Amino acid sequence: MGASPTTLRLTLHVWRQASRDLPGAFEVHHLEGISVDMSFLEMLDVLNEGLTSQGREPFCFDHDCREGICGMCSLVINGQVHGPDQEITTCQLHMRHFADGDTIVVEPFRARALPVVRDLVVDRSAFDRIIAEGGYISTDAGSAPEGNALPISTAAADEAMDAAACIGCAGCVAACPNASAMLFTAAKVSHLAQLPQGEPERERRVLAMVERMDREGFGGCTNERECQAACPKGISVAHIARLNREFLRSSVLGRS
Amino acid sequence: MGRCHVLIWLRRTFGSSIGSKALMACTGLVLIGFLFAHLGGNLLLFADADGAAFDAYATALEHSPLLPLAEAGLALLFCAHIVLGVRVQRANREARETAYRVRRTHGARTPGSRTMVATGLVILLFLVAHLYDFRLCRPEGDSLALIVRERLASPSGLVLYGAGVLALGLHLTHALRSALHTLGLHHPRYEALVDRASFLLGFVLGLAFLSFPLVFFLGGAA
Ligand code: HEM
Ligand code: FES
Repeated sequence: MGASPTTLRLTLHVWRQASRDLPGAFEVHHLEGISVDMSFLEMLDVLNEGLTSQGREPFCFDHDCREGICGMCSLVINGQVHGPDQEITTCQLHMRHFADGDTIVVEPFRARALPVVRDLVVDRSAFDRIIAEGGYISTDAGSAPEGNALPISTAAADEAMDAAACIGCAGCVAACPNASAMLFTAAKVSHLAQLPQGEPERERRVLAMVERMDREGFGGCTNERECQAACPKGISVAHIARLNREFLRSSVLGRS
Repeated sequence: MGRCHVLIWLRRTFGSSIGSKALMACTGLVLIGFLFAHLGGNLLLFADADGAAFDAYATALEHSPLLPLAEAGLALLFCAHIVLGVRVQRANREARETAYRVRRTHGARTPGSRTMVATGLVILLFLVAHLYDFRLCRPEGDSLALIVRERLASPSGLVLYGAGVLALGLHLTHALRSALHTLGLHHPRYEALVDRASFLLGFVLGLAFLSFPLVFFLGGAA
C-alpha cells in the first residue's frame, strides 16, 4: 500500500444564502489537517468552529441522527446528491473518499418546491403536505393485533418494506433532472398499496397524493432513473411504475 | 356522469404529470407502429431499379378511401405528442429555477434519455421538411420513387434526412423503455431485456431509415 495521507488539505466552495428571498453565492474556504476518518458533516463542523472562533457566521446545514436513518442531512457534493458513494446519506460519507488538495463544491438541494431557507438548509415541507394527502391509514390502531390475523404474502411484505425504507431526505428530487418527487411519492403509495391495511383508501390516496405533488411544483418523471441511483436507501424505480399503475387504474377504473 | 364531470375528470387525469406522460407514451407507441409500416413501404424502393413496386404501392395508398382517415389520425397523434412534450418539458424546466454549479450524473442517464427534447425538436423540423418534400410540394403525375431518389441523392437531402433519422433513432433508444415504464409496465425480471430492446429499436430503426439517404446519395453520386 502506498503511503496515502491521513489528513487532508481542502478547498471548499460552500453556498451561502442569508434567506429565501436573498440571492446566494459561493464562499471559498481552506481547511487543513482534516482526518480521513472524519465524516463529511464533522468536516463541516470543523469549518464552522473555525468560522465561529473568528467571529464569523457558521454555515447552516441540516442534520440530526448522523447515522443514516432520520433523513435530515442533505447536500449536493461535487454535483452528486449525498456525495460520491452509493446508498448512503451525507452523514455517512467519510473524508477518505477525497484526496489531499481536493476542491469540494457544497450546494443545497435545488428545486423550486424545496426553497433554500438559509445556506445549505432547504424547506422540505412539501413532502409533509404530500403525506398529509394520504400517506397514512385511517384505521383506529388500538393495541397491536394478533400477528397472523392479517394474511400478507412474503413477497408483498418484502416489497412494501423496501418502499417503507424511504427516509424522505428528498435526494431523489435533488438528483432528478426535472426535480421530480416521483420516487418519494411512489415509495409512499407503493408501501401502502401492497398491504391490506392500505386497501380501504388505496384509490383516494394515490389520486390525492399525485395531485398535491403536481401542485407543489415538482417536475415530472422522464424515466432516467437518476433518483434510484442517488437514493441512500436504494429504492427502486419499480415503485414509480407501480405508482403509475395505481394512478392510471384509479383514474380510469376507480369508483370515486 | 354529467358532461361537467367528464370534463373535470379529463382535466384531473390528463392534466396531471402522470396522465400527460401516459398520453405521450400511448401516442409515442402508436407512432412507433407507424414507423414500422412506413419502413415497410419504403423498403419497396430497393425492390427494383425503376421504382415500379414503390410507385404501385404509393398509387394504391393514394386511392385508398382510408388514406384521409389515416392521415388525420397520424396528424393528431403527432400534434398530441408534440404539444404534450413541449408542455411537460416546460413544467420540468420550471421545477428547478437555480441550476447546480456542479452537476454529475449518478450514472443512470443515457445519451438518448438526456436528449429527448432536442431529438424531438429535430424530428419535428425534419417532419415539416419531409412533408413539404414529398406530400405538399409534389408535381402531379410524376413517379414518386423518382422524386424520392433525386431528393435523397442531393447533398442537402443526405444532410436533412441523415440528421432527421439519426435524431429519430436516438429518441427511440429511450422511448420504448420510458413509455412502458410510464404506463406502469415494469417487472424486475424483464427490466434489462426492455432496456436492451429499446436500445436495439432505436439503433435498428435509425440505421434502417438511414439506409435510404445513404444508398441513394452514394448511388446517385457514382
Ligand atoms: C415518429 C416520431 C416519434 C416517436 C415514435 C416518438 C416516440 C416517443 C415515445 C415512445 C416517448 C416516450 C414517452 C414516455 O416517456 O412515456 C417519447 C417521449 C418524448 N417525445 Fe417523442 N416521438 C416522436 C416524435 C417526437 C417529436 C416530433 C417531438 C417534438 C417535440 C417529441 C418529443 C418528445 C418528448 C419531449 C418526450 C418526453 C421525453 C421524456 O419524457 O423523457 N417526440 N417519444
Ligand atoms: S443526519 Fe440522519 S440521516 Fe443523515
